[in-house]
Amino acid sequence: MRRGSFWREAVGLLVLGGIAAAVSNAVAGPERKLRWIGSYAAAPSAGPAAKGPTPPSVEASPAGATGEGGKVFAPHPDKPWVGASGDDVAGLHARGNVLFVDARRTSVYRGGHIAGARSIAVWEADADDKVKALFAEGRDQSAPIVIYCSGGECEDSHMLAQKLYFVGFDNVLVYKDGFPDWEKRGLPVKKGDAP
Amino acid sequence: MSGPLFSPWLTTRVQFVLAAVFVVAGFGKIADPPGFAHEIHNYGLVPDVAVNAMALVLPWIEVVCSLALFFGLARRSSTRILGILLVVFMIAIAINLARGKPVDCGCFGTSKVERTEAERLRDMKIAIARDAGLLLLVGQILAATRREAFGV
Repeated sequence: MRRGSFWREAVGLLVLGGIAAAVSNAVAGPERKLRWIGSYAAAPSAGPAAKGPTPPSVEASPAGATGEGGKVFAPHPDKPWVGASGDDVAGLHARGNVLFVDARRTSVYRGGHIAGARSIAVWEADADDKVKALFAEGRDQSAPIVIYCSGGECEDSHMLAQKLYFVGFDNVLVYKDGFPDWEKRGLPVKKGDAP
Repeated sequence: MSGPLFSPWLTTRVQFVLAAVFVVAGFGKIADPPGFAHEIHNYGLVPDVAVNAMALVLPWIEVVCSLALFFGLARRSSTRILGILLVVFMIAIAINLARGKPVDCGCFGTSKVERTEAERLRDMKIAIARDAGLLLLVGQILAATRREAFGV
């Protein structure tokens, strides 16, 4: 081996690594796949409803305020999300008609999640598709949606909240203490792929 | 260089150890690219557009170079690449230590254990020490094979 051959060999090794990565990502299932460009925030690629300047109908706020003696959660079109405490969230869950979304990895969701919560794992490649699918259901965009992850310093909920905000949901609540707090309170938990 | 520290016998063993460490580290990350991407993101050093690509390619570079090292192909080049990676990892962890930001190393894949901030900061120091140790192995291989480089 002569001196100049380092670059040739190094390029060869790096190219091999790149090819292996491409093949591995191509055959990976949705839970392991990544988009090549970007980070979790793979830009809400031409999202169905680009958040236009048109202010959402705030007057129609009763949609979010089905307060049966409970706290009122009004839409907040100016902020992507607001924080919610364990008590707030437990109250919303008891209403039965509030959407819960789990932002953690699919494998973690499977191991136990808030009963009724759907899974949108922000770090997985199909997160944007799931957000679009949620939008396409034509739900009331000012009704409260609770997002949670594993509490503490976990930022997955906030990332997902951004995504939902981008497609027009403006009443997203982030359950700050997340799933560990839910479990501690002994509230309903389900295992498996189904909500 | 000569002497027992640079004997071909020892170099072969060192190659195997270094290759083994990086194969384990590489496959640990390959098992969960989104988890590794998350960890790269947490380091706060890589621009968002590059996070996923890095999470996909980096572990495979580790694996390819370790396999090359194991089979004795392009061993100086693969050792150098692994050495460069070690230096990059050490700098990345050191920057976050200096920031006082506890990050998961992600070295051997996504950690599933919940740790406190103090434990994470301690583990970051351990990771730097470990990488320094591995860098010694890199140095041994490069020093012992210098003659190849000059075509003597």
